[in-house]
Amino acid sequence: MSKRQVAMVMDLNKCIGCQTCTVACKTLWTRREGMEHMLWNTVNTQPGTGTPHHFEQMGGGFKDGKAQPGIRPTVEDFGKAWEFNHEEVFNGGKNDISLAADGGKYGKGPNWDEDQGDGQFPNSHYFYMPRICNHCTHPACLEACPRKAISKREEDGIVLIDEDRCKGYRFCQEACPYKKIYYNEQEGVSQKCIFCFPRIDEGVTTACSRQCPGRVRFVGYLDDPEGPIWKLVHKWKVALPLHSEYGTEPNVFYVPPLSPPKIDDEGNPTEEPRIPTEYLEYLFGDRVKEALETVRIEREKSKRGEESELMDLLIARKWLDMFGPFQNHPRDAARMRPIPANRQGFKNPLGGNDPFSSDEDMAALNGGAMGDSKPAGVSPIKFFTKDQYKNGGRS
Amino acid sequence: MRTRRVNDVASLLEPGAAGWDAAGFEPVAMMPAPLAMQPTEYIRVKWEGREYGSDPGLKVASVHDGKRWVLCARWSGVSPSGIDFPDAIAVALPVRNDPPLILMGMDGAPIQYLRWQSNKPALRSIVATGIGHSENGPKMAAMSVKAHTNGEQWDVVMSRSLGGEGEVAPLLAGQKTKIGFAVWRGANEERGGIKAFSIDWIELALDA
Repeated sequence: MSKRQVAMVMDLNKCIGCQTCTVACKTLWTRREGMEHMLWNTVNTQPGTGTPHHFEQMGGGFKDGKAQPGIRPTVEDFGKAWEFNHEEVFNGGKNDISLAADGGKYGKGPNWDEDQGDGQFPNSHYFYMPRICNHCTHPACLEACPRKAISKREEDGIVLIDEDRCKGYRFCQEACPYKKIYYNEQEGVSQKCIFCFPRIDEGVTTACSRQCPGRVRFVGYLDDPEGPIWKLVHKWKVALPLHSEYGTEPNVFYVPPLSPPKIDDEGNPTEEPRIPTEYLEYLFGDRVKEALETVRIEREKSKRGEESELMDLLIARKWLDMFGPFQNHPRDAARMRPIPANRQGFKNPLGGNDPFSSDEDMAALNGGAMGDSKPAGVSPIKFFTKDQYKNGGRS
Repeated sequence: MRTRRVNDVASLLEPGAAGWDAAGFEPVAMMPAPLAMQPTEYIRVKWEGREYGSDPGLKVASVHDGKRWVLCARWSGVSPSGIDFPDAIAVALPVRNDPPLILMGMDGAPIQYLRWQSNKPALRSIVATGIGHSENGPKMAAMSVKAHTNGEQWDVVMSRSLGGEGEVAPLLAGQKTKIGFAVWRGANEERGGIKAFSIDWIELALDA
């Protein structure tokens, strides 16, 4: 049990499915060899099969406190990183070549059913659901590992894999009911979201939350009554865990999506929401109705011009307030210490043509969007050794 | 179990070397590592009622030439390539203080393992002081491994130098020690403690 728990709330009413979070994470953390298929952050269309495909049917977690068997997702289940025939198309000198993934033999990508959703017109519906490792209070991965390679940090509850202890047995992949652990075949180790712990250590929020254009993600401590997490989860009770029945006590929470009314056969709006409440209950449990009703009531108050702490919170008028104690600018943290970009051994296939190939550009990228207007290159970026990385980004 | 002395082990470093047929292979009885001893509840639940660690019919022979010790292991069960887990064998030798084989050693009583797995070209040296407590072991002179399969049987020849100090398990001409074995069948998803093992130490006598 950790002393404190850092947590995240994602407001699904605001996610536009732009995948900026996915790219921010990918760029920062998963560029080593063997990580090509890894997306520690994913955003899927719901209802849908998710990533990895059909992860909700892959088992793991706990039932009545007892570990449940699970299966390992394959690379194909996660969705391969396709290789495209760009060279052939653009420089091959043939007119009859089309762009094709993996020679036209591609399987499913990580977000195969994007924008498909469910329902028939005029009641078709979908919403976007981002997912990261839930940094659970009762992590099935940690408990399954025979090597004690997985630990939960005492100071903030972040769950980490020690890649030196990991032997690639992949019991963690089977045991995680959310299937957010990947396997690196090149290095023979399991890898997953690290909740940007080197940034958290410097008071900087995660890359996925800082880069989010929709202001979807709140970050903070679960027990901080001044922070957004405690207010959304405990005070207003509008943020709910995904599949709490998996028994791992996840620490990523979701504000479920409101939806416009369902239309009846005559074309008139009904009292039913277009996204079936039963589906939201399947995802977020039986407190969904109460959470949706709270959001709806507070939204009406706000519409009437009355004050609403909840609406102010969810609207996120002050962007930095979303991040609790993690409001530092990554550039300022980099002035004190180098930002661990974890690019050891990374060979950029684009070479000098990569718009983010230089350290200065990486600095700008790490510095974040959202109006950070200082010029790039103000701080030197160093790439850490594996030992420095393991040591929380400290040399 | 006996390690015969030969003039020069160089001709026996290949799995198919003719000399191995005269080296006197001895069978090793094996059984599944007990489910109750698997270190996590998840593994016990997952493997409850599922067969693993079936006897691979392991046979071993070993020789030395006063400088180098060479062991040939043969067993049945070759997994196809491209699956999640490799076929593997580990040879256990006590470092000091009579470590319990079934517990993979204990504090102050380490076991050194020489491990080969079908997806790695090199022999690994590992030192364990208990289940789940293994680290990279000392590198030794003359460590090598070569493997051959006919599609049904593995022939693996591994070697290391004689001697022993620090965390290197002692292997000395004219002296006795103990030896143990573990075999993993990759096609059955065997890894970690899910394996066949040789139950208890077998005495190993090296010719003078």
